[in-house]
Amino acid sequence: MYDKIFPPKRIVLPSGKTVLQRRTRVPLIVLLLAAAVAWSVQLTEFNLHMLVTRIGEFFKFIGDMTPPRWDYLPHLWRALAATLQMSLLGSMLGSLLALPMAVAASTNIIRNRALVSLAKIVLSLLRTLPTLVTALIATFVFGLGPMAGVVAIMLFTVSYVGKLLYEQIENIDMGPFEAMESIGMTRLEAFRYAVIPQVLPSYLSTSLFCFEGNVRYASILGYVGAGGVGLLINENIGWRDYGGVGMIITALIVTVYVIETVSEHFRKKLI
Amino acid sequence: MIAFINVDKTYANGTAALSQINLKIGKGEFVAVIGLSGAGKSTLIRCINRMHDITGGQLNVDGIDVSKLRGKQVRRLRRRIGMIFQSFNLVTRTSVINNVLVSFAPDLPMWRKLTGIYTRDQKLKALEALEKVGILDKAFVRVDQLSGGQQQRVALARTLAQSPDIILADEPIASLDPVTSKMVMDDFKRINQDMNITVIMNIHHVEVALDYADRIIGVRKGAVVFDGPSGKVTQEILDYIYGGGGPNDEAAASLEEERSTHVR
Repeated sequence: MYDKIFPPKRIVLPSGKTVLQRRTRVPLIVLLLAAAVAWSVQLTEFNLHMLVTRIGEFFKFIGDMTPPRWDYLPHLWRALAATLQMSLLGSMLGSLLALPMAVAASTNIIRNRALVSLAKIVLSLLRTLPTLVTALIATFVFGLGPMAGVVAIMLFTVSYVGKLLYEQIENIDMGPFEAMESIGMTRLEAFRYAVIPQVLPSYLSTSLFCFEGNVRYASILGYVGAGGVGLLINENIGWRDYGGVGMIITALIVTVYVIETVSEHFRKKLI
Repeated sequence: MIAFINVDKTYANGTAALSQINLKIGKGEFVAVIGLSGAGKSTLIRCINRMHDITGGQLNVDGIDVSKLRGKQVRRLRRRIGMIFQSFNLVTRTSVINNVLVSFAPDLPMWRKLTGIYTRDQKLKALEALEKVGILDKAFVRVDQLSGGQQQRVALARTLAQSPDIILADEPIASLDPVTSKMVMDDFKRINQDMNITVIMNIHHVEVALDYADRIIGVRKGAVVFDGPSGKVTQEILDYIYGGGGPNDEAAASLEEERSTHVR
């Protein structure tokens, strides 16, 4: 279509041969992007003036939170531990469940087209649900508390790890798989011996990365009553106890930082 | 003994890959299949171990009609037939010995399959297979540390660990340099002679094929156009096997490609 409006440039070589060079699409893409940005600014009423004048309030709020109320720390441990337990359990269950889901969604392993599309649809549907919404629904089903949080995190992990894993499985070298089949293995056995060794390191790495992110998500799930420190943040903001909020956030930052550093170390070893 | 009787193979998209193939290959023969890319060489050897299904005729391996086999029987047939590939098809992230040990995997109990733990006896057999192709010293090295020639020998060891009656080789030296090619071909010859294993090999290097194989099969556009001892191959026969014309003609195809090139 584009080539019809802007015909390709014709280059004639001294030998008389011609090659056609397609016109670049970059100007069109830039134009579309600019239009989209303009439209977004109009719709969100984004205002630079407001951003400059009110930004001070943000720092005032941070000022209220410092110094953190250190005596509040002992009350935090339980909620903080619950947050970590929630994300750890949810991530582990989710990663395990993601494995069969990813296999079912891989076109090069499963020949049944219907099963593959079903698995892909389930994975993308799960991904469209924000964790907060899943957690809210889970509190209706399993009642208030960390259980709902575990379920929400698990579902998110399935969708995230599942998606990345099936993309990796679909991109692997199928040569070894063919060799395993030629040795007399079933497709499942060939998957075990040819595909798993190829995807295992990145699968573990993705799961760890997802766990990192889940610790952050888990801290907010308390807002909808799904347990963890989020509940405390909500309470303390309600009581205008900004020193307490500061303490919670400080503790969270330290925890998340430690977990990210440790996880990054191991992920580097994996790849 | 392998017998093709009026074998046809048409792919699902309608392309006829093989037509009216009649061949008899005896135990212990070293056969080289030559012909242009796309002539049907790969399809021909893949029909023997049922990696491809034939669509007409009959294909017998030791008197068993392979197209009649189902599920488990196909896998049992494949246990007796080794296969070597152009790109080696090894799991490169793991050690050499692990790549050889997979040969025993189909017969393992479930818990061993899941955990990937092999018996002492199997490890010994795998090491013996590596010894036969002369790379015992690399047994515990990761495959991606090896050269192409060494990797192809690991693939040979994997096949030997199966103790096959037949080895099918699909362009085994196409990605190797001339020196390593010679080493791998010598391995094939030794295996063929010492263990009386039938070798059927697709190969692009005609001179190598004539040097090593006892018998040459020329394939052109899905049909066998020459079948005889290597000594009887003349330049005229080669010209005919690699002759021009038709959609399988590489030269014509590449010319066509050049005409319609778009440069970005």
